[in-house]
Amino acid sequence: MSGALRFNSMHFMPYIYLPDNHKDYKSLWVSFPNKYFDPEKGHELYNRYLSELVMADRLGFDAIVVNEHHNTVYSMMATPNLIAAALVPQIKNARICVWGTPPNFMLPNRLAEEYAILDVMSKGRLEIALPLGTGMEYWSNPVNPATAREKFKESLKIMLQAWTEDGPTTHYGSFYTYRFLNPWPRPYQKPHPPCYVVGTGSPETIEIAAELGFGYASVFVTQQRARELNETLRQRAAHYGHTLRPDQLPLLTFVYVAETQERAEQEYIVHLQRFFEDYARTTPQYLAPPGYLSVDQLKMRAAMADKMHGGFDFQAISKSFFIAVGTPDKVANQIGEWSQWMKTNHINCVTHVADMPHWKHVKNLTLFAEEVMPRLRSRVQPALRAAAE
Amino acid sequence: MSKFVRETYTVDGVKTVVHSAGSGEPVVFFHGAGTIDGFDFAEPWTERYRVIAPYHPGFGESGDDPTFTDLHDYVMHYLELFDTLRLDRFNLVGLSLGGYLAAKFASEHGHRVKKLALIAPAGMIDAMHPMLDLLAVPGEQVPELLVSDFEVLKKRLPEKPDIDFMADRYREATTVARLLWEHPGDPKFMRYLHRIKMPTLIVWGDEDKVIPVQQSETWRKFIPNADIKIFKGAGHLVHLEKREAVDAVARFLVG
Repeated sequence: MSGALRFNSMHFMPYIYLPDNHKDYKSLWVSFPNKYFDPEKGHELYNRYLSELVMADRLGFDAIVVNEHHNTVYSMMATPNLIAAALVPQIKNARICVWGTPPNFMLPNRLAEEYAILDVMSKGRLEIALPLGTGMEYWSNPVNPATAREKFKESLKIMLQAWTEDGPTTHYGSFYTYRFLNPWPRPYQKPHPPCYVVGTGSPETIEIAAELGFGYASVFVTQQRARELNETLRQRAAHYGHTLRPDQLPLLTFVYVAETQERAEQEYIVHLQRFFEDYARTTPQYLAPPGYLSVDQLKMRAAMADKMHGGFDFQAISKSFFIAVGTPDKVANQIGEWSQWMKTNHINCVTHVADMPHWKHVKNLTLFAEEVMPRLRSRVQPALRAAAE
Repeated sequence: MSKFVRETYTVDGVKTVVHSAGSGEPVVFFHGAGTIDGFDFAEPWTERYRVIAPYHPGFGESGDDPTFTDLHDYVMHYLELFDTLRLDRFNLVGLSLGGYLAAKFASEHGHRVKKLALIAPAGMIDAMHPMLDLLAVPGEQVPELLVSDFEVLKKRLPEKPDIDFMADRYREATTVARLLWEHPGDPKFMRYLHRIKMPTLIVWGDEDKVIPVQQSETWRKFIPNADIKIFKGAGHLVHLEKREAVDAVARFLVG
């Protein structure tokens, strides 16, 4: 495997002030009443979360990652490009990953423009993921889930054309007509910022990434499945004449580092449990709006969901998903092994989950940057100590 | 044992399954957005008529055509099928979404429809009495909304959660989403309803939880000559709950 390991700090920016009765709601997505959002608390959280991402940069993370979700406490980043824009002047070294706005929820030229603006403002530090969007987003946005994949493909084509072909060009498609596709500005990076497709393993989505030679970021799939998906993607990309670099297949892992294993678990598990049980809680209906999945995929996932009943079990969940919790040695060893096993050098670390307080996130970022990264890097960069307040 | 005979046609490349029974004047039945109700309810009609009940593309036993994105594609599909079946002029009965389709067909091709019966038809934009948006209702809650007496439907549902049954409903919901997700109502539909001149019967259950029975009066505004029959104690699937409703359609066809 070539190239030094690369580490991202990924943030969901959750709204953590859940009402006492939140368990009465089957879903904290889509229909969870927005009266529970308190802008005073939101203000405090945005400031706090932005400072944490800035800190990740200061500590030496290679990239910070933001993403988009709607109608949910899971994430306050309904428009992640705004978050990225706020970060650009503050993030000095790290790459800025917007992973990302589902192109279906924006006019493709406008999304191409926004990404180009961020890329130019950050002097070529932008990376982009192109998600189809979760099923939940299709209940929250006026876009047909049954034609989502076709629309997604057409949007991607328009964005790439906008970035790579000298304008004005035209596009006459099923969903969009452009008589003058000629967006200003154009991206700083040529031909365009690095792109990843995000997915949970639908073959249709893998095929899109493979055909375009894009990276693929699998999210919320088991270790075994993530490995299979990477393998499938490499094969399918090769079929289209693309050779994927290891960094195009980021490995998403939850991380928490502390002085001892016991302390790490004691400080972390409660938040991870709330992440899975509360922040990610939604209904089968919201997960799969009509046409969002093929009928075969729906049956497969329903069968899997049947097997996964039961409460939160940290030991079980850490065995099936990428979750590295413990001492610097343990976390470094696990990530080292996984990166070899997954044939990737790109580690996308979820450093904050659910209602983890500021001090724990600062501790986690600091210990990861100062203790874990040096153990893993071939070239050790001296990490800057953050001015943790 | 069902009287219906099953035949498969290929219509413009789409596998189309048609159930038919009886002899006499043809009666075409357009089913609704779910196909759990089956066609057996229509057996009384077969005593005097040749009943022709096709599955729409994307529903039941017929194949899929993802290029069908609005109801007009179904009108075109049926023009083709009726040519194949050499059905020139016929009686047309439509239920719910099938009622919407039947009314659209009749407003565009009135000369081919001898009589039109609409059972709790969808398609009307009625701000005072809006249709329930079934696409927004969790699947497990849908069956009890379809009927007044749940026992009527219970025997057609799996006893335990059943992945295949769920997948069939998901497929049909996908077909409906292709047609209606972004625009559940089409104002143009109402604009041309006045072209329906043939004898028309509108049937409704007064306990319809999906499309309020008050919409029957709204239909009358667009089709002033329509006869309206309301059945007490019946829900949306009035044809399953009340044999009298099925008989009323038969009497209207004879009448």
